[in-house]
Amino acid sequence: MEFFFVFWKFFRKIGVLGMTALLAWTCVPLSAGAGQVQELRIADRKGDWGSPNPYCHYPRGPGYIRMSWVFDTLVWKDKTGYVPALAESWSFDPETLAFTFKLNPKARWHDGQALTAEDVAFSIAYFQEHPYRWISLDALRGAEVKDPHTVVIRLAKAYSPFLSDIGGTMPILPRHIWESVQEPARYTEPEAFIGSGPYTFQDFNKAQGTYLYEAFTDYYQGRPRADRLIYVRTGQPMISLRSGQVDLAGIQPDMVTPLKNKGLKIIRDERVWNKKLMINHRKEPFQDRRFRQALAYAISRQQIIDRAHRGFGTPASYGLLSIDHAMYNPETPSYEQNPGKARELIEAMGYTRGEAGRYHKNGESLKVELLISNIAVGGQNVADRDGEVLKQQLEAAGIKVEMVNLEQATTDTRVRNWDFDLAVSGHGGIAGDPKILNEMISSHYGAGSVNSARYDACPELNRLMEAQMLEMDREKRRQIVQRIQAVYARELPAISLYYPDTYAAYNPDKGIEWYYTPGGISKGIPIPQNKMSLIQ
Amino acid sequence: MQTNSRRYSVLSYCLAALLMLYASYLLPRLLPGDFVTAMYSSSQVTLNAEQEQELKAFYTQEDGFGGYLLDFFRLSWGHSYAFLEPVSSLILKALPWTLLLMGGAHLFSMLAGFVAGVETAWRRGGTAEKAGVGLMTVLQGIPELGTGVLLLLVFALHLGWFPASGAETAYADQSPVRQVLDVLQHLILPFSTLFLAYFPGNFLLTRGSMVMILKSRFLETARAKGLPPLRVRYAHAARNALLPLVTRFGLRLAFMLTGALVVETLFAYPGLGTLLFNAIAMRDLPLVQGIVLFSSLLVLLVNLALEAVYIRLDPRMKHAS
Repeated sequence: MEFFFVFWKFFRKIGVLGMTALLAWTCVPLSAGAGQVQELRIADRKGDWGSPNPYCHYPRGPGYIRMSWVFDTLVWKDKTGYVPALAESWSFDPETLAFTFKLNPKARWHDGQALTAEDVAFSIAYFQEHPYRWISLDALRGAEVKDPHTVVIRLAKAYSPFLSDIGGTMPILPRHIWESVQEPARYTEPEAFIGSGPYTFQDFNKAQGTYLYEAFTDYYQGRPRADRLIYVRTGQPMISLRSGQVDLAGIQPDMVTPLKNKGLKIIRDERVWNKKLMINHRKEPFQDRRFRQALAYAISRQQIIDRAHRGFGTPASYGLLSIDHAMYNPETPSYEQNPGKARELIEAMGYTRGEAGRYHKNGESLKVELLISNIAVGGQNVADRDGEVLKQQLEAAGIKVEMVNLEQATTDTRVRNWDFDLAVSGHGGIAGDPKILNEMISSHYGAGSVNSARYDACPELNRLMEAQMLEMDREKRRQIVQRIQAVYARELPAISLYYPDTYAAYNPDKGIEWYYTPGGISKGIPIPQNKMSLIQ
Repeated sequence: MQTNSRRYSVLSYCLAALLMLYASYLLPRLLPGDFVTAMYSSSQVTLNAEQEQELKAFYTQEDGFGGYLLDFFRLSWGHSYAFLEPVSSLILKALPWTLLLMGGAHLFSMLAGFVAGVETAWRRGGTAEKAGVGLMTVLQGIPELGTGVLLLLVFALHLGWFPASGAETAYADQSPVRQVLDVLQHLILPFSTLFLAYFPGNFLLTRGSMVMILKSRFLETARAKGLPPLRVRYAHAARNALLPLVTRFGLRLAFMLTGALVVETLFAYPGLGTLLFNAIAMRDLPLVQGIVLFSSLLVLLVNLALEAVYIRLDPRMKHAS
């Protein structure tokens, strides 16, 4: 019955509207008022990123961003660094390991109720009981309400990524709504989207992949500059931008000049995303560090960038952290292409060169399987041509390569189950908090990630990773983080290849300045949709 | 005799439906990977082993085929992992757009192909026929993706006449008239892509059938009776050319849900093809199962409908079995 009802409604709508259309051909132009922007449209290739609340959005950057318009955090980041959000000010007492946050007394929930320290304490307790995967609250002892606008968050042990991972990422929930919710993952009532952010959530069309937000006029930092914010799914961001259908979109590097010529403003991100060669270091011959180093010597990253990406990219640091990161170690060991050194290392492992220059040992030839797949770079799916170049380079060094092109989820599953030799992969977050090193290196932190090398064989690296999490002094932490990069580059459990150039373009006529947030939004999201762009 | 045949037919349809139910249950499960891995693989969230196990347990279906069958008859097609919404509701939201685009393109390309095919066959040997056949053979060789990209470049990028993506301008405060025009404006490019892909086949098929039929002696009789040429052409000749075209229409219609994938993705059109594509990429098992099941049952229904249509079009089919 429901089936026919929905159909009837749809075709009746089309039919009635069609008849009306035949009778009159009118145009109702949309016009924006001066000053305040009436409407902003943001393009997205995928469209669907889940409903915008902490428990329903997809665990990826675009999902978090959609939630961030509705839910505010204690602190936030703009292009200068951390700035006040719900907390007007904050301080840390190293003696008691306690952060004190003074809340903005003007902060209100979208239903008009006042936001207080009780809500912050409740959010922490609620997330401890019903985990929100973006944050880990293991290091917290609890939260104490000092007065309606002061909350003290006590740590059970030192936790250096606190501001990035918790203060700047944890959405604050309204206690009066969530205290009665037992199954947050299934809670999708309209109240589930009441937050304290600059925009109220109006609609998410799951079939069309579109989102509608409206400005929260009582926002404590002032009325947002655009009345309506709309996300639209588009298969062709560049065409949509040029035709004025959207105001902001991520673009391919080739599109920079034509769009600039059309009067659009182009912005470029830091190097926050790296393409990586995953290595199954649990099996022979990859278990031997010399072989992993030989692979690195056999590869020319610049050649991959030139041949597969028309030169749009930068060779990555072998130490994983971005070269734009404040804690980047310029002394990180490097492996510029050197086939002679690669051969030397392989021969030191007992391999001998046979016919056609291929290596073999104990009658078996040296043969590896390379998994490749289309991969999402900066939110856009691009064909992976890196595998072809890598194959040529490794074969030139005497390693027979069998290239297997699989769909992304299948590649991920094989990597996750250690059912692979080499795989081309990639991830972001490398310009955010250095905790990313632990997540992308250690199985203790990143067992569930297909991008994590899950390499626990080096005690020095393990010790350093634990130490950086406990070091609250920034300078001391920087030294530890730099050492981690050096040791990681020596061990090479995975090889960072390059940082692809990432661009976005926007329509400057709307008077909004979009930017890529240094280090990325929240935990390092490389998307230029920072809500601070729309705050007066 | 006829009752036996009907009984046999009903039985074979039921058996086919059961097999399709089993296929829709089994096939998506054979996909390597799972929802948690697909969802968290390129994510900012890094799961530890315990969190991963916990999530995998939450997103696992262990009800077996019996339970699946029972749910199917209860009209409970499950909840999408990603959308947190009943699968049937998601299918129903996407289906009208697919019907509008694919159904419309199929229908129009069939009607246009039929008329064009009949007319060119009637004027056999003329310049129009020779040019038409040549052009259609070339057009048939161009993939939908090629036509789509070309149309996008010309009409969306350079001329800017039509929007490049979507089915309507999202959340536009428009009058109903403007809204319909907006839907039509968004429909034109994907519709034209599909029309250009389907029309040549229908044209060539009808023309080929007509050329054979025009040689039949019963048409000489019809002409000799002094019937108007239009009636001879359509009521007597073209009716016989309709059967292969209807078969083609039925088969194409059956695959329209998944066949639209390329065009829907290219134009970001919100149909079932896009829904299935995203569901597979995310390993949203209940949604994949639902769409596969819906699509396969539709194949069965179309076949059933075709049998009835055949008999109406050609009464000789009654005695075919």
